[in-house]
Amino acid sequence: MKAIMGLETEYGALLTGEMQGMRDLFRQEEMFQKVRDHLFFSQRMGVIDQHQRAYDEPPGNGGFLLNGGRLYIDMGHVEYATPECHDLLDLVRADRAGDALLQCAVDEMGLSNEISFIKNNIDHQTLATFGSHENYLVARDFPFTERGMEPLVAFLVTRQIFTGSGRIGAAYVNDSLIAIDSEQPPVTFQISQRADYIVNKFYQWVQMNRSIVNTRDEPLADPVQYRRMHLLLGDSNMSEFATALKFGTTKIVMDLVSEGLAPSVGVMDPVRTCRGLSHDMSMTWKLQDAEGKILTAVEVQWQFLEAASRAYSGTGEDVDWVLREWEALLVDLGKKDPALVSDRLDWAAKYLMIDRFRKEEKLEWTDPWLESLDLEYHNIDPAKGLFLILEEEGRHRRLVPPSALGSGRECPPAMTRAEGRSIAVRKLLEKPGLSYIIQWFGVQVNQSDVLYMLDPLKTYRSEVEEYFRGIEEV
Amino acid sequence: MHKEQTWKATWSPDRQPIPGSPKKDVQKDGPVPKRPDSGKGPDRLMDRMRKVDPNQSERYRQRTGE
Repeated sequence: MKAIMGLETEYGALLTGEMQGMRDLFRQEEMFQKVRDHLFFSQRMGVIDQHQRAYDEPPGNGGFLLNGGRLYIDMGHVEYATPECHDLLDLVRADRAGDALLQCAVDEMGLSNEISFIKNNIDHQTLATFGSHENYLVARDFPFTERGMEPLVAFLVTRQIFTGSGRIGAAYVNDSLIAIDSEQPPVTFQISQRADYIVNKFYQWVQMNRSIVNTRDEPLADPVQYRRMHLLLGDSNMSEFATALKFGTTKIVMDLVSEGLAPSVGVMDPVRTCRGLSHDMSMTWKLQDAEGKILTAVEVQWQFLEAASRAYSGTGEDVDWVLREWEALLVDLGKKDPALVSDRLDWAAKYLMIDRFRKEEKLEWTDPWLESLDLEYHNIDPAKGLFLILEEEGRHRRLVPPSALGSGRECPPAMTRAEGRSIAVRKLLEKPGLSYIIQWFGVQVNQSDVLYMLDPLKTYRSEVEEYFRGIEEV
Repeated sequence: MHKEQTWKATWSPDRQPIPGSPKKDVQKDGPVPKRPDSGKGPDRLMDRMRKVDPNQSERYRQRTGE
């Protein structure tokens, strides 16, 4: 698969000890700063920003990492953005590197009894949600119109049957742009964390009125050649398999749309459908297509898989892996038994473990203990996290062995401009005292000319080396 | 024809793997895992679940992000 993909994760933070109201907000912020400073100043895993990146990103708020990714504090969360990744294994490795960086900092500073980072997207007490943002590089001539993206919307609304992370309960977002179903039965468990918060089909905002397809045009690359597709509707996956399949299938479908090969399928009222599918634990997942015909989400996914197989089968190792696993998964999902997919999908793994616990402890679905277990599924601390036990014991599929995960903290993905950025970060760490600005698309040192890196598909290794030679000569 | 166009659109001449690329160490198709209920011996998962503070979700109050 010839792609550039990236994933941004906003981590939740669970503080231990007695609740202290507003004081907890300050405590949390202090913890975030300690973790960030430990990574940048003690561990020297990256270089901290010296310039004001945006009005809410002052100097010192975060920085770029040795692996080419970025870590910073944003809107009350520690956020980690993977470097640009060229294939699915690199993406999984880079995603897990974010978890490893944060957990190592917590462990090394002896803070594990005070804070846990939770890789999820909701809390159960308020309507807060926070993101998992997917980024895909596409050509500038991608059919970025309502009509052109109709099939993409149909795919995205239905892919949650394998990308959802599952959650206890539901959130009824008080948003004036949508009508709220007050007659629906109570939701005890649903397959997606974010579905309840998606209230538009297309929109450009990222913090309110979230949409199925975000329309912000910020390519962070040559805008003449490229567009960056920015998706906010996905969940943070703990499962490496779900992460890889989410990105793999979505990139393939974007290729189908781009080349006019996607099935001509649309979904009627996609926002309501998105929510309805997520709430349907019977796994029937019925919907109406754009003409009003009743289909299931699995059938819609089959349409995309068949089109993808016709167009791309045999074109690459990643593509073939995606097509094979996508098919196997749809076959299993069609049997309507979560146990058949719990070795690959977060929502099914979480549902089964909580349901079993609930029965053993004789708890109702509304018991708040289950919400706490829902959170602990996403705890990135191997000593606490519930998902990580499944993985450790071989009950959930890994794609990258633990021995290869560690390198993701310092080593950039191959064959993208993250390589050049990584070299720049390393050189800046070796020569303290230089002034610099690093952006996703370029580097500037000592106020000399900017080295633009506008093509994410180039490594810029030799250009960066040469640029720094020039700086040294000056 | 479409496949060729995709390749051309994304190919860049300097895209060569860096030496020691970690991809060489990894294999996507590992052994098929056990089902969640097939573990033998002490059930670490259930033990860990029982140790979770039942009221902890009350403490988990986050700010809305993006």
